Amino acid sequence: MKLKKVLAAAMISLFATGAIVGCGGGEKKQADAGKKVQIEYWHVAAESFGGATVKELVKDFNAKNPGIEVVEKYNPDMYKGLTQNLQAAIASGKNPDVVQMGYSFLNYAAENFQSVNLNDAFAKAGDPKFLQDNFLPNVLELAQTEDGKQVGLPYSISVPVLYYNPEIFAAAGLTEAPKTWADVKSYAKIIKDKTGNMGFFMQEYADNWAQQAIIESNGGVMLKKVDGKVQAGFDTPEAAEAFQLMADMVKEGSGLHATNEEGFQAYLSGKLGMVCTTIGKRANFEKTAKFPVKVASFPEFEGKPVRVAAGGNFLMVFSKDAAKEKAACEFIKYLQSPEALVKWSTGTGYLPPRKGIAEDPKGFKKMAEENQNIQVALSLMPKAVKWASFPGANGLQAEQMLIDVRDVILSGEKPAAEALKETAKKVNDLL
Amino acid sequence: MSRNVKEALVYLVPSIVLFLVFFYWPLIQNIYLSFFSWNMVSPTMKYVGFKNFAEILSSPELIKIMINTVFYVGFMLILIFVLPYFYSYILGHLIKKWSNFYRSALFLPATLSLAVASILFLWIYNPLAGPINIILSMFDITSPRWFKENYLVIFAICSIVGWKFFGYNLIVMLAAMVAVPKEMIEAAKLENASNWVIFKKIILPMTSSTAIYVFTITVVFSLQHILVPVNMLTYGGPDQGSSNLVYIVYQYAFTFFQTGKAAAYAVITMFVYMAFLYVKNKYLEKKVYYEN
Repeated sequence: MKLKKVLAAAMISLFATGAIVGCGGGEKKQADAGKKVQIEYWHVAAESFGGATVKELVKDFNAKNPGIEVVEKYNPDMYKGLTQNLQAAIASGKNPDVVQMGYSFLNYAAENFQSVNLNDAFAKAGDPKFLQDNFLPNVLELAQTEDGKQVGLPYSISVPVLYYNPEIFAAAGLTEAPKTWADVKSYAKIIKDKTGNMGFFMQEYADNWAQQAIIESNGGVMLKKVDGKVQAGFDTPEAAEAFQLMADMVKEGSGLHATNEEGFQAYLSGKLGMVCTTIGKRANFEKTAKFPVKVASFPEFEGKPVRVAAGGNFLMVFSKDAAKEKAACEFIKYLQSPEALVKWSTGTGYLPPRKGIAEDPKGFKKMAEENQNIQVALSLMPKAVKWASFPGANGLQAEQMLIDVRDVILSGEKPAAEALKETAKKVNDLL
Repeated sequence: MSRNVKEALVYLVPSIVLFLVFFYWPLIQNIYLSFFSWNMVSPTMKYVGFKNFAEILSSPELIKIMINTVFYVGFMLILIFVLPYFYSYILGHLIKKWSNFYRSALFLPATLSLAVASILFLWIYNPLAGPINIILSMFDITSPRWFKENYLVIFAICSIVGWKFFGYNLIVMLAAMVAVPKEMIEAAKLENASNWVIFKKIILPMTSSTAIYVFTITVVFSLQHILVPVNMLTYGGPDQGSSNLVYIVYQYAFTFFQTGKAAAYAVITMFVYMAFLYVKNKYLEKKVYYEN
């Protein structure tokens, strides 16, 4: 009997606590709504990837705008993780307001999430020409779907570049950065033979961003349109040649095939000559490495134009009421101001999307002049093209197939041409 | 209804409700979802019948994933069932000194989070900069690509999870080992029985109930623990080489956003486990000795 009483008492107190907490939450919400518009900002900036800068920017904005309170929320696992959380949030009706979205999720986001039309929103906020006046058409296009719908506003732009370790280069007797992919291959071999270190690594994230750049720079394409339907376009000799070049390096022992983090660890600890990855890693690399990190342009295939996919993210707005929508516009305007963009770029290495900012004396100019690596990346901006985004309900799975085949080719299981043909067929079945 | 039954029912209600709400209701929901093509947010759920199942059962992917799953479970059984079993025998009955030190030293990794352990081992296995490579290079051996080769990747991931759970299982089995009556072992020793005979004829039967418990949780929970390093380090790669029946459910649901297919995989996974539990209850339980 005693036990029963104790249990009953425990249960009552549990309910009571629940009731109090419940009421408390409700009251707090109402009070906040009365004095401030609270909006939520979702981002993917981990501590090693601009997280401190996001906090700094949000704090600064909140101080300057007493009527608005921005709450920042970090989403782990990059845009995949963020999309998962967004999916859940929208399903339960608790939309965030401003969201960083990756370019490869452009189609998925446009097809599945109801977002605010930015042109309308800025018109309502009293600045109808904000997008047209401040961004170049080719930049705006990065966040547009095929039919020209503006899904979001480009915020961070990254391009793939070639990082190298000048100390390893010197030890191998190499004096300048490689310009073509043939150079990269021979340099990697020289580094391996002369220093015993590994020569080359291309990022192996769970996406095909860097691989798209090497395929398209060789004249290939990722996706093509046949009778109005999108199909795999990577089963061509150009794409196969690009992949095979990397597989051959791995086979020779001068190229590294490993997980992404392993590759970066190896480069930063001075065991790897060249890494092809995003300029977004610049700040982190420069801070962590014990040697002076040098950046070279994305290599070309002899006589062919370089085409690199623009990475990074664009901002989408999901606010459901007018006050929050207006606050979201104010916040975006702040994030896109030259001063804020310079801070963001310093913290991450991303390039700013805004028109003319590279020449803006208040903004980016000084920084670019001081850092050679940034200049190299800026020179790639005109060569930036849209990141291929696989359409349809099976789009993300189709992209995974191309990620899988990369492992098949690099580990030498199958020659590139054959493996790509098989994958293209599977992808077409899915799309 | 007698008063006793009524009272018993009252006691049972909380757990029955919890089970219904958090186990059986989601289970039914999951089976329901497996007949649709849907992504969790789209307003239209398309009914596709058994298409999800047909696609999965006819794909070569399923075979690869089943083989991987068997390898995972096999490695895990060796690392956190067989090995700790022998260790606990040694610790409980053969070693006289330092046994407390070994106990805590071996238990230590169990206190770390799996995410931390994963990052730690990513460094250890690094093919260029990791300590294993440094040792291998002393013998002029090139480090294998631990996380990029089929099967090797399964071993590498199992070693992370095994490292963490070894100590916990060891403690559980050690408790069973020391509960074996000392008099029985002393008596056997007087009869000049060897350590091996003592192990086989006394220890093995006397600890079988704990062993079957550890065996079952190893098989059932290992794949769930494995999800953490797989999702952090390999994303199921290379070419699905580290994927398994649990990770593939996660991948379809939250990477590809194909809820229907994920639900269908979950149903298949459930049947595989049901088959395992059936075999276990039918054949293994009979050989187990329960004191009470």
